[in-house]
Amino acid sequence: MADAAIHGHEHHDERGFFTRWFMSTNHKDIGLLYLITSAVVGLISVAFTVYMRMELMEPGVQYMCAEGARFIPAATSECTPNGHLWNVMITYHGILMMFFVVIPALFGGFGNYFMPLQIGAPDMAFPRMNNLSYWLYVAGTALGIASLLSPGGNGQLGSGVGWVMYPPLSTTEAGMSMDLAIFAVHVSGASSILGAINMITTFLNMRAPGMTLFKVPLFAWSIFVTAWLILLSLPVLAGAITMLLTDRNFGTTFFDPSGGGDPVLYQHILWFFGHPEVYIIILPGFGIISHVISTFSRKPIFGYLPMVWAIIAIGVLGFVVWAHHMYTSGLSLTQQSYFMLATMVIAVPTGVKVFSWIATMWGGSIEFKTPMLWAFGFLFLFTVGGVTGVVLSQAAVDRAYHDTYYVVAHFHYVMSLGAVFCIFAGIYFYFGKMTGRQYPEWAGKLHFWAMFIGSNLTFFPQHFLGRQGMPRRYIDYPEAFAYWNWWSSVGAFISFASFVFFFGVMIWSLTRGARVTANNYWNEHADTLEWTLPSPPPEHTFEQLPKQSDWDRSHAH
Amino acid sequence: MPYRWTTTPKQRNLTLWPHRSLPRRGFAAMIMATFALLTVPLYPLLGTVVLWGLLPFLLLAVAALWWALERSYRDGDILEELTLSPDTIHLTRRNPKGDRQDWDCNTHWARAEMHQKGGPVPFYVTLTGNGRRVEIGAFLSEPERQNLYGELAEALRAARS
Repeated sequence: MADAAIHGHEHHDERGFFTRWFMSTNHKDIGLLYLITSAVVGLISVAFTVYMRMELMEPGVQYMCAEGARFIPAATSECTPNGHLWNVMITYHGILMMFFVVIPALFGGFGNYFMPLQIGAPDMAFPRMNNLSYWLYVAGTALGIASLLSPGGNGQLGSGVGWVMYPPLSTTEAGMSMDLAIFAVHVSGASSILGAINMITTFLNMRAPGMTLFKVPLFAWSIFVTAWLILLSLPVLAGAITMLLTDRNFGTTFFDPSGGGDPVLYQHILWFFGHPEVYIIILPGFGIISHVISTFSRKPIFGYLPMVWAIIAIGVLGFVVWAHHMYTSGLSLTQQSYFMLATMVIAVPTGVKVFSWIATMWGGSIEFKTPMLWAFGFLFLFTVGGVTGVVLSQAAVDRAYHDTYYVVAHFHYVMSLGAVFCIFAGIYFYFGKMTGRQYPEWAGKLHFWAMFIGSNLTFFPQHFLGRQGMPRRYIDYPEAFAYWNWWSSVGAFISFASFVFFFGVMIWSLTRGARVTANNYWNEHADTLEWTLPSPPPEHTFEQLPKQSDWDRSHAH
Repeated sequence: MPYRWTTTPKQRNLTLWPHRSLPRRGFAAMIMATFALLTVPLYPLLGTVVLWGLLPFLLLAVAALWWALERSYRDGDILEELTLSPDTIHLTRRNPKGDRQDWDCNTHWARAEMHQKGGPVPFYVTLTGNGRRVEIGAFLSEPERQNLYGELAEALRAARS
């Protein structure tokens, strides 16, 4: 039994720094670790894009020379374009961003920290497995960086096959770099799957008494659906890249026509994973944005139930549209018609969400604090990206736009501007809650405006370049595309400056920011359970189950 | 809710168990939905060897989800049973791993206590007697523990008289 344990004194935290942060089983500490790590990896990944935009600023090749990569153009010396270096840059920008930055930040970081809090669970269902997920993510990142620096194709370092790793390009790429990249994705996939199982179990079995499924806050719902998408799609990717690995190293011919294989099958299974992946990236953002908009409009979220069903519908529809990435790979007319229609159907639940956010703001008393600015930015930019998505979903139109900068502009509007704006909205919204300190409001606003202007300047002109027919994934371009490329590069530099400024703001706020003492430093419409806790929350929360009156509001959620 | 009183002519019984928010039907629905959606990527692969490369990973995913949910049920598989009769009081606790812990006491010497502070949870309810102090219902929610304490004290008084 269960002999009673009564101590007269409070529990003291006697763990050292190493034990607390390296062997943590606490969901809040692990969430913070995810956020910090993904910020560092994000900086690396963004640095690649700055180098690429430097190269693309002027026609001709000035920086990525076969004679040696440089940062200052030497007008006099000879420069032979080094296409491999360029390919390596786009490949690792893609792999790092897709697997090691956005998902760990939104799902691993905010999901770990706030999902258990919002449902009133004391911790995750499997705290030690949570620690394992985090360290697998770090190991995967290390493998990814190792792959970048190890011998690859063309007698140089790194692999230049693109993040999709299509065979035969990936099966014939020389060196061990490609194998390391496959291992990196394997390990990060294992990390995500373990994390997803943990989240699903926590969400399903550890909700507070009386919190039925349709009383769960929207962010927790979005994390649950995301976890489910990860569980459904990442095993498919794991299978696909395992077959790549055996094709490369053990002489199998899954994707090699000379042995009866079919490279197009790889595209099918890659995109069966890849399309849900983009929803995995954006869905947790939807959850954060819902809370931010509701808080700063001082209104409960409009249409809670349709919002939940829209998240579920987006998740399910995401699994039946994958071949819209492959219109030009020789699909039959019937297949193209189906995938085109199915893709357009996704606009319906997405529209439900966008209109519900607008309806939430309608008649509210809107306050333009930093998180709300980011949410506003998200709403506008995600809608722009969604509209070009509907354009691209047309199989006939896609003939013209396929592999042009129009596609680059589209997916950066939904992911770079959509998901990344969600991350920043979440960071500014929850910064005081997580750290007990507050950032200077002007700095958050300056960061927002610099990033908003910079990223729009980067990506909006790329629509024009795509319409003019500029193809993706090339180191150089004809003189005719020079004008908008120059502007796009200027935008990229502004965005990068704002990102560096963001690190400065974070470091300043962590060390010198004003202390936050209130549990709820926004207003009464931030009404989920994390706002009933002190800032920062204590080590252990909700060991006693929360009372229904803490979270059950008469209005909507 | 997670505790229940039952009365027989000779004794009163109290059963307590931790709250789990997923009913068994929900478990079945979750596994079935996951399984169904995981078959979707296999359709374009029917008749190719790639199917066999993919299938083990998909089945592993379903198995892992099944295992995790079952494990979560098992972690909450605690049952505390209290039997109150006029002369003895008996408490049995079955732990997640199946081992049992027992406590007996003469009803006249047993005492229910609630510790607002100092326990692992606020309003920690314990039973004292026979040289030991044991916890009861530590996994219940706070209002439940407060109610439980009142009902327990009342039941002890009734059993003695």
